[in-house]
Amino acid sequence: MLDLSTWQAKTVFTALAVLIGFFLFFPVYWLVISSVKPDHELYLLSPTIWPNEFTLKHFKTALFEGGLPLHLTNSLIVSLSSAAINATLAVYAGYSFAKYRYFGRKPVMLFMLSAQMFPFGLLLITIYPMFTDWGLLDSRFGLMVSYIVFALPVATYMLYSYFSQVPNELIEAARADGASDLRIFHTIVLPISVPPIVTVFLYSFMWSWNDLLYSLTLIVSDDKRTVGPGLLLNYLNESNADWGGAMAASLMAAAPVVIGFMALQRFFIQGVTAGAVK
Amino acid sequence: MANLKIAGLCKDYGPVEVLKNIDLDIKDGEFVVFVGPSGCGKSTLLRMICGLDEVTSGALAIGDQIVNDVPSSKRGIAMVFQSYALYPHMSVAKNMGYALRLAGEDASEIDRRVKAAAEILKIDHLLDRKPRQLSGGQRQRVAIGRAIVREPEVFLFDEPLSNLDAALRVDMRMEFARLKKRLGTTMIYVTHDQVEAMTLADKIVVMNAGRVEQVGAPIELYHAPMNRFVAEFIGSPRMNILPAGLVADAPAGADTVGLRPEQLVLGEAGLRGKVLTTERLGSDTFAYVEIDGLERPLVVRKGGDEALASGLDVTVGWGADALYAFDAEGRALQVAPLKAAS
Ligand SMILES: Nc1ncnc2c1ncn2[C@@H]1O[C@H](COP(=O)(O)OP(=O)(O)OP(=O)(O)O)[C@@H](O)[C@H]1O
Ligand SMILES: [Mg+2]
Repeated sequence: MLDLSTWQAKTVFTALAVLIGFFLFFPVYWLVISSVKPDHELYLLSPTIWPNEFTLKHFKTALFEGGLPLHLTNSLIVSLSSAAINATLAVYAGYSFAKYRYFGRKPVMLFMLSAQMFPFGLLLITIYPMFTDWGLLDSRFGLMVSYIVFALPVATYMLYSYFSQVPNELIEAARADGASDLRIFHTIVLPISVPPIVTVFLYSFMWSWNDLLYSLTLIVSDDKRTVGPGLLLNYLNESNADWGGAMAASLMAAAPVVIGFMALQRFFIQGVTAGAVK
Repeated sequence: MANLKIAGLCKDYGPVEVLKNIDLDIKDGEFVVFVGPSGCGKSTLLRMICGLDEVTSGALAIGDQIVNDVPSSKRGIAMVFQSYALYPHMSVAKNMGYALRLAGEDASEIDRRVKAAAEILKIDHLLDRKPRQLSGGQRQRVAIGRAIVREPEVFLFDEPLSNLDAALRVDMRMEFARLKKRLGTTMIYVTHDQVEAMTLADKIVVMNAGRVEQVGAPIELYHAPMNRFVAEFIGSPRMNILPAGLVADAPAGADTVGLRPEQLVLGEAGLRGKVLTTERLGSDTFAYVEIDGLERPLVVRKGGDEALASGLDVTVGWGADALYAFDAEGRALQVAPLKAAS
């Protein structure tokens, strides 16, 4: 254990914490203050650490003039549904891998995980012609499918590891009490698995929310675009770079993830299963 | 209520034979205790009876019905797991009523039966709590309550007290004795604890490596073990085993002889040895005496609390009827101490 009893240790520890904190939070701080600086202050040769003047102009333009609201909506639709479907599929697949023994279980699991070994960008090359053939190009549904394909293996594995640790005796007790397999899963296993399921949901939500490459490639029409490529194409292109607008829009794009995490963090608290077995 | 009959039961896990040809008769209302070393198949046998695993071969009958293919919940049995296996997200009342809810009982009947069981176990004030808000002993009671509520014909307990501290075990042991009287239901109980086995059982089943070594009343097993394994397993501290050659009064045909620590007397004519160490428990003192030609020291029980200097030269003797004798295969020979338990 780290012994923080001497003043030297405290000083070193505090200094390290401040340093790490600086690297973590300075970019966020810069993002926030840049979004409220007027244009002329953004381009000063010696930038101001604290804005001399505050303005909400960038937020206004981002909200009312660009495609941000539309892109945000698209992102929400695609990310929420892919996260929901992904979590649902992973729950059943993970449970089956963890608690049932059947022929082909191990190979199928390995096969699924091996999909994860290919570089993300490489798979795009194979997915693109496939989506062209199936007419999934330039559709939000297609994009969602691609997100599920890529997040599902890890999501399944995460839940598989969790379900493996659910004590067999708990399941057997329910079986002896007369519950069917599906009943056991729904009334015993699912209720005690809320934290990992929420984690998996957030994992796949972030995966699609933060994606740039797939959305940029698979979506062509501006009205179906998600927020990542939307920001890029709107604010930073050959003809102009609206840094203030980009900062304000990024801030609003990051908000759902931050809010989601804060709202759901109580589910991460360990010990929900305490008292089951000892 | 029901009797239970097991005939030629075998269980393999892949190539591993875990249970080998088990025959067992359990009468209605009997309290039967399974004992045996770790890994000998006690839990597996219990799981077979409960229906959590399929039997490989043999027959299992509860009442007069062969239940090999009857699902667990239809066998009229209830099992209390070693880990309690309480549903962590349900209140105590919900835990206890789960089986009845699944069976479609109506709410008032469930409520009545849960309350009745909770009263028997003195947990009626805990019904609204979650398992994590309970102490170990309370969880144990809830687990038992969950079994009682189902009004089974046979109760199965897999080492129900092994997670409790010593004092609580004694309390719960008496609780089991009370429960046995009150319910009068057939009960099968697995334990590692000699005292639990000796005090609770109508009948003890001694198992070893997937086989039943002997079945009998506790005192019968103590006085008349059929072989060396049972002789060494029942009784604590365990029986001293000596080569027959060391003992002058060994009967003809004996390969080894056994002497229980409580039957040995220090200072009487017999074997000569040196005291290695003594263990003082207050009520008893156990002396470990090193004897020439014997690998393990001889354990001798003395009443009272008296330390012996280590290195002290002593003699160890025994009464004429204290000797158990076994042949080369470990079978017990019919000698004086094999008095039928009376
Ligand atoms: N699912 C399984 N697959 C393979 N072997 C198993 C399985 N379950 C149990 N065994 C083996 O069967 C043997 C008996 O196990 P069991 O749990 O019945 O022992 P036990 O007598 O209850 O022991 P303990 O006193 O330690 O609880 C052990 O050797 C164990 O390794
Ligand atoms: Mg066991």
